[in-house]
Amino acid sequence: MTKTVGRGALIVYGVLVLLPLAWLLVSSLKTGAEILASPWSFPASPQFQNFANAWSDPQRPIGPAFVNSVIVTVFTLLILIPVGAMAAYVLAKHPFRGSKVVLGLFMSGLMFPHFLTIVPLFKLVQTLGLLNTMSGLVLVYVAYSLSFTIFVLYGFFEGLPDALLEAATLDGCTQSGAFWKVMFPLVKPGVIVVAIFNAIGFWNEYSLALVLFSSGGKTTLPVRIADMATARQYESDWGALFAGVVIVVVPILVAYWFFRDRIQVAMTAGSVK
Amino acid sequence: MGKQARFQLSFLAPAIALFGLFVLWPLGQALYLSLFKWSGLSANKTFIGLENYTRLARDEVFRGAVGHSAWLLVVVGFLIFVLALGLAHAMNLPGRISKAVRSFFLFPHVMSLVAVAILWRFVFDPTKGGLANGILGQQVDWLGQKSTALPSVGAAFLWYSLGFYVLLFMAALSQRDHEVMEAAELDGTSPWVKFSQVTWPMIWSVRRVAVIYLAINVANVFALVWIMTAGGPDRATETMLTVLYQVGFAQSKFGYASAMAVTNLILVALITAGIMTATRRYPA
Repeated sequence: MTKTVGRGALIVYGVLVLLPLAWLLVSSLKTGAEILASPWSFPASPQFQNFANAWSDPQRPIGPAFVNSVIVTVFTLLILIPVGAMAAYVLAKHPFRGSKVVLGLFMSGLMFPHFLTIVPLFKLVQTLGLLNTMSGLVLVYVAYSLSFTIFVLYGFFEGLPDALLEAATLDGCTQSGAFWKVMFPLVKPGVIVVAIFNAIGFWNEYSLALVLFSSGGKTTLPVRIADMATARQYESDWGALFAGVVIVVVPILVAYWFFRDRIQVAMTAGSVK
Repeated sequence: MGKQARFQLSFLAPAIALFGLFVLWPLGQALYLSLFKWSGLSANKTFIGLENYTRLARDEVFRGAVGHSAWLLVVVGFLIFVLALGLAHAMNLPGRISKAVRSFFLFPHVMSLVAVAILWRFVFDPTKGGLANGILGQQVDWLGQKSTALPSVGAAFLWYSLGFYVLLFMAALSQRDHEVMEAAELDGTSPWVKFSQVTWPMIWSVRRVAVIYLAINVANVFALVWIMTAGGPDRATETMLTVLYQVGFAQSKFGYASAMAVTNLILVALITAGIMTATRRYPA
């Protein structure tokens, strides 16, 4: 009896999760008129043109924004991972007087919502001459992801036996040599978890990009697509808009599908003891 | 400086520099700026003490926004909590259904909030092409009328967040003490007693974490509301951060916006501390 209720609830839940997504996908292949007519109809002929229209829209093309998002995501990871791993390693394996305080400061970044610093952050990035530049956004993303990255990697480094480090140093490695040749490769599983989890966050991020990198037609994918949605409020090319949303969502859902176990680990990190 | 100290410093310096400059410094600045009347030009910065805060306390728009956030936290938060706890139990059932749902239930949560917002804006589209109207066979202007706008945003928030809390509770349930669960099973305890006497106390720490996450996430919902309704109609869905964004970046009242940021931070801290104290009765 309870099992039947449970399975019934799961089916309802599954349908509610998938229905809007299926509707999104089908709508991205419909004409504007077909979308307005009924959510249940299928396109008379699939409008693959919608994707081309969204990609190279004369006013708000998705294409360049897609490229920007790829560049920002990749460069942020390339800086974040070594910077975060080095800090986590020293804090976990070479503690000093006050290192707990440093760790605590980094962890404080997990406690408060990042949007709260937006006004001073905007002025700071402006003063540094980095407003509306990709490098500015990349540096800000690195800074705001350090807390989570250090938190997870600290745990991984802490779990490595000290004997390994001693062996590496006895073999004539310098401290930094021991890190890059021995310790860093050993925490690869942790690095993969934080890299995937952070990459999804950078790809999806909206608020910071809206304020720090969204003028002169240059911006990232989420800002561009939001802009498209707001501007099209009273227009009728919904097909292209839905196609644009599909372009934003599909890379993430594919990545999630492949790495879902690791992503779930990252999501519950620290909340379940 | 010794070799070891130089090594430690060189490894920590990049992280400390970036975090200090872009995170801690602006955080301190937000506190400082909230005491000024400032339009963003350095020449016009006037110290006004706590005036921004006293004005904020009388600001109808901001108070309305706090009320909407509170509604989302209490009503939608409660729904999320109950549904997630129930569904997490169901997910543990053996069989193909739970296996299938497990593979995709986090889709909404990994999507960009922007995509979620656009998708749900069209779910609640006033035409008969909107999904909600299509299901109900009616033509309701969900986001355009005051009575339905906030619940509609709440529905989108629920759809986006639920999976994460299901995941949290699934993790908590899988970590229950198996011996105790088996003992309860052998005793022939009823499912309700097993839940209320065994499971509920055992998942205490995750319950607490879930409520705290909910408080933080609701207080900081921005992209979803901004794209779905921009705070409208007639400010019916305004939340703390949508007001902050408009005051800061459309009206360039940087000091006043900073006071809002600090107030938001204090409110969240108070709620979190309140939850921590209220749930202290089970020792960890």
